[in-house]
Amino acid sequence: MSRWTTSTERFFTALRVSVIPLALALSACGPAHVQVEGEFPTPLMEPLPLKLGVWYADEFRNHEFHDEAKAPGDSDWVVTTGQAQVNMWDTLLQGMFTEVVHLESEPGTAPSQIDLDGVLIPSVDELQYAIPTHTSIKVYEIWMRYRFKLVSPAGEPIGEWTMASYGKTPTAFLQSDEAAVNFAAVMALRDAGANFATSFTDVPVLQPWLQSRGIVAAKPIAAP
Amino acid sequence: MKGLWRTCALTCLAFAVTGCVTSTVDEMVFNEPTEGIGEASVVILGRRHASDYDTEPEFIRCVGNYIQARDDSVTVIGELEFLNSLYPWFEPRTAPLRPVDLEKLLEHKPVMDKAAELKIEYMIWIDGNTVRTDAAGSLACAIGPGGGGCFGFNTWSNDANYEATIWDFTDRAEVGRMNTTATGQSYMPALVVPIPIIAPVQGTACDSLAEQLLAYLSSEY
Repeated sequence: MSRWTTSTERFFTALRVSVIPLALALSACGPAHVQVEGEFPTPLMEPLPLKLGVWYADEFRNHEFHDEAKAPGDSDWVVTTGQAQVNMWDTLLQGMFTEVVHLESEPGTAPSQIDLDGVLIPSVDELQYAIPTHTSIKVYEIWMRYRFKLVSPAGEPIGEWTMASYGKTPTAFLQSDEAAVNFAAVMALRDAGANFATSFTDVPVLQPWLQSRGIVAAKPIAAP
Repeated sequence: MKGLWRTCALTCLAFAVTGCVTSTVDEMVFNEPTEGIGEASVVILGRRHASDYDTEPEFIRCVGNYIQARDDSVTVIGELEFLNSLYPWFEPRTAPLRPVDLEKLLEHKPVMDKAAELKIEYMIWIDGNTVRTDAAGSLACAIGPGGGGCFGFNTWSNDANYEATIWDFTDRAEVGRMNTTATGQSYMPALVVPIPIIAPVQGTACDSLAEQLLAYLSSEY
């Protein structure tokens, strides 16, 4: 019994001496990884009477943001938003339009589904983040710029425009940087959905297309 | 008997290790519902328009829970539940900033139907935050094969400032404003083990503001 106790004590001493400092040292290395996860509500609005196709490129489906540490005390960051992007846009578009069809190939590269009114292709142009150690402000922030292309089922361009979204969350007791960045990203995605849903029918490049489908009335030309 | 002593000791310890907080409340209200709000409901929302701070979601929850716990006839709709039910109309980008903006929002039939379903009578917007201001002292901790410990002394103060604006949802009018400020000093002496003596600044601000809102909304207060 005493022999077992002695060997157990030795084992735990060795553990304390070697493994714990090693674990602490390793925990300080490696990038901070955030897999953005959140729930996104269906928009509360009358659906627009359009049959819209949507095409998510692989780059969008697997969207990841990498940022290398700029100061010695900082860590690298990897923020994966792809799955959350697809979840949010699927929920939003299905609530915004009477029918949404997911395309399996890029418009214009395969036999097209001609009964669609148009095909939306979203992409993330840019993503920036800020954490309190960067800004000395006690909020975590995510900023994104989207680029949207609306094309015909055959792939001919109808319109292209950009849209910004922003999300932030305050610091909270016992909240890790990763959890806060995730929350800020969810807020940015919600903001993107809100911006898209409330401004879609006002996008200038889409006006002729929206008018041709009776979604918005043609504006009278002002007298000179 | 032993249990009683333990309870007394824990209570005394809890009081002893809590820092002091000073709180003040100002209010200006009119059209108070003297009979209470009946079967209607109230929603409490945080303002999140400022670039350098955010009204903390836990503060909004705290105010709602305080009101609900003291008068269960007042139905308080949870902030997230409300934001999700009326998405995307109450996000920071799209939320109405003035009561008259509600008029335009309610032109959307699904929004009007949802508001009627939720029986919203009052919409309360809370704007503010709690910040750490002065901090002083130093505290060092060390860990080695034989164990670890801390030594030193830290002190800091927290300031909370929140303003609640009450909108009458039916009349689309502002019917009151309440403001609360709270300040407290916290301490952390450490002799091997750190002993946090935390001033509950945000909690005091929450209680003060919620008490005033309760007095406005409830017929029993």
